[in-house]
Amino acid sequence: MTGRKFVFAACGLLLFASSGWSFYQSRNLEEQVVLSPGVTEVKRLGDYFDGIRGTVNDCYVYIMEGEEPGGTVFVMGGTHPEEPAARLAAWLLAENAEMDVGRMIVVLSSNRSASTATRIGGAYPPDFTIATDWGERTFRLGDRWANPLDQWPDPEVYIHYPSRQYLAYVDIRNLNRTWPGRPDGSLTERTTHAFMELIRQEEVDLFIDLHEAELQYPVISTIVAHDTGEELAAFTSMMLSDMEFNIGMEYSPPTLHGLSHREVGDHSDAVSLLFEAPEPFLDATRGKTTREQLLTGKDEFVVKAGEAGLLYEEIDESGWPMDKRVGRHTSTVLMTLELWTELNPDRPMRARGIPLYGEVLEMGLGHWLHDPAAAPPDRVVIE
Amino acid sequence: MSMFTYAGFVLGVMVVVYIVAKVFKLSTELSMFAAALGGALAGGFWIPTRHIAEGAMTYLDINLIFITATLFMNILKESGGVAFAVRGILKRFYRSRTLLVILLTVLLLLPGALTGAGSVTVLITGGMVAVVLETMGVSRVRTAAIVFIIAGLSAAAPPVSLWAMMTAAGVNMPYVGFFWPLLLPCVLLSLVTIFLLGWKGERIDLERALGELPQPPDRMGWGKVFLPLIVFGLLIFIGRHWPHDTPVLGLPLMFACAAGTSFFLSPVKLDFLKISRETIKQLLPLIGTLTCVGVLVQIMTLTGVRGLLAVTAVTLPVALVFATLFIVLPVSEAVLMWGAAPVLGVPLVLLFNNIGLDPIVALAGMSVIWPLGDALPPTAIIGRLTVEVVGFKEKYTQFLKACIVPGILIMAVGTLMVIYSSHLTFLTGL
Repeated sequence: MTGRKFVFAACGLLLFASSGWSFYQSRNLEEQVVLSPGVTEVKRLGDYFDGIRGTVNDCYVYIMEGEEPGGTVFVMGGTHPEEPAARLAAWLLAENAEMDVGRMIVVLSSNRSASTATRIGGAYPPDFTIATDWGERTFRLGDRWANPLDQWPDPEVYIHYPSRQYLAYVDIRNLNRTWPGRPDGSLTERTTHAFMELIRQEEVDLFIDLHEAELQYPVISTIVAHDTGEELAAFTSMMLSDMEFNIGMEYSPPTLHGLSHREVGDHSDAVSLLFEAPEPFLDATRGKTTREQLLTGKDEFVVKAGEAGLLYEEIDESGWPMDKRVGRHTSTVLMTLELWTELNPDRPMRARGIPLYGEVLEMGLGHWLHDPAAAPPDRVVIE
Repeated sequence: MSMFTYAGFVLGVMVVVYIVAKVFKLSTELSMFAAALGGALAGGFWIPTRHIAEGAMTYLDINLIFITATLFMNILKESGGVAFAVRGILKRFYRSRTLLVILLTVLLLLPGALTGAGSVTVLITGGMVAVVLETMGVSRVRTAAIVFIIAGLSAAAPPVSLWAMMTAAGVNMPYVGFFWPLLLPCVLLSLVTIFLLGWKGERIDLERALGELPQPPDRMGWGKVFLPLIVFGLLIFIGRHWPHDTPVLGLPLMFACAAGTSFFLSPVKLDFLKISRETIKQLLPLIGTLTCVGVLVQIMTLTGVRGLLAVTAVTLPVALVFATLFIVLPVSEAVLMWGAAPVLGVPLVLLFNNIGLDPIVALAGMSVIWPLGDALPPTAIIGRLTVEVVGFKEKYTQFLKACIVPGILIMAVGTLMVIYSSHLTFLTGL
């Protein structure tokens, strides 16, 4: 009996040590950012709201001041770190964008806590690697919700502030259900409050929240727009669908609270948009959960669900590769800036260095991820 | 190798390993763990320790709710509160059979509804209600059937319904709007069951009944029974009424507060550590099952087996799904216990949502059917527990036969709730 107990205890210890090492490594993985020459200032979220300073969500804020004054756009990646194309698209901006006119603010890990855990029961790989022209770069694959190690327990029901709308208890850790946040709330609520402060203090004109969605979710391959951004989103959708790829446009439902496309527009002067790209990795009908599936977006089971008419986006054997998903986001950002300037000539924004959809497809997104070893040390940030 | 062949092979290995483990008399939870390991090895993932650890944490919150809620009910029982309540009801209502069976139904529904576990109902109030039913002239086999069926319905009843919670979590659906779609069928079917099986009998011999029930301490009173429940209700009320002015406590701490209140109000000195130890001992099979179900589901997701089941379920002819729900759900429960919810419930809810049914009402309908599987082999945990607690010594099949009529009613109501869920959407907004 004692021998059996010893064997079980030893197995448990091995399991604890081996899995613990894996969790520790992914939580502490150093993700590097080689700053674009256009980045003129790097701040922290805590600079805008003390209540978030020093916490896991005190993320970096990259600011690109243009040569000429104009409007300010804020592009946010990492709201849901399990949607990596959204985060990588923001990464490409931070490493390549330069503003000729106006100002761009970029955040790569808006819910940094959520990037440090993978979804329980989801069997996600802890990270993924992108091949580049000079080697490779590894990134964390996170979760939809903040890490319970940083925010726990959840309430029996989450009541959104200030609307008092009832939401799933777990969504109190979902950054895109806690807008506009509150200064004395949970970590996630304080994070969105800090972002609202950033938007107000930096006088942001246009706010863009980057996402991905499962193909079984109706809001996909689209731009969700606040009332104040409907015209801009409609024009962007028309132009992109005509010139590059199909993308829809949806109105932000006025009664659905906590989401950025609703609350940022309601609680600030910024026009708020949310971009969705397709990610078969998130589908419940997906097959083997691997890094390969994450990067290629190829999945026989999801194709089968599509044949049965159960999906809201097309998929075939070629899947939805990461380059395609990232390229959709970068092109949509560029087109939005162009049309914004046409609609708001008093607050123009013009960027360069950001790859278009076709360029990302042709050269691979790794082409725009730069070698940290070749960059001056003061131009490399550990995200 | 196509994904269908690969996942089909892994599923086959998991099934074989599970059966072999059961043949070697391993417990259900260890058999599931073995099946998960077999699946990971067959899928080429070797021993994926990160996934095993992560999967084991899937139902940590639910386990904590289980433990604290059962601790609360056990303290209430040990302090004499449960015996006091049963005796009080009996003394007050023994002349009216109708009122008495209604109150006994409430007593059976309450522990499971609060904890999400039918076993808690059987252990806390099942035995005492059985004594009362026998004094009312209800045969022992029918008594066992009543306790089992209502215990199952109590587990499906709100506020804590594990099948609904686990499935809802799997499809990113808030566990909101389930209260009435779960409460109404559970209460109505419980009443139908107790009236159907317990109506015929004889006049109650009060003296005999009171003699067989445990004697509560002298200083026990209704206030001491209800105050812990009031504390729990108050914490829920405060959290919902002033959510932005009060700290987040979470359900486990709320149940712990109720347990603490019951402990301090107890008229007899209680050994807290002993009750805690017994609570954990009592819950260990359930906690073990939930932990291993988490590991199994994680490995099924990793290897694509979950996707295979999901895509097969959502592409089946809908009529076939409706026609087989009554058998598929209890059988899946018998094999996987709560694991049936994330494995089978998730794709079914996605299918129902895609064809325009109301996912909340449909899931509530499924949740009512699932507990019936707890009487079926290979697990039959709650069924076996019930016959032991009630003291039914005859053949197990006789007990199953006694459950058939209410079982058919539950299957019919659950299936109809799924089929007509879009007409019952109003229940979610009550």
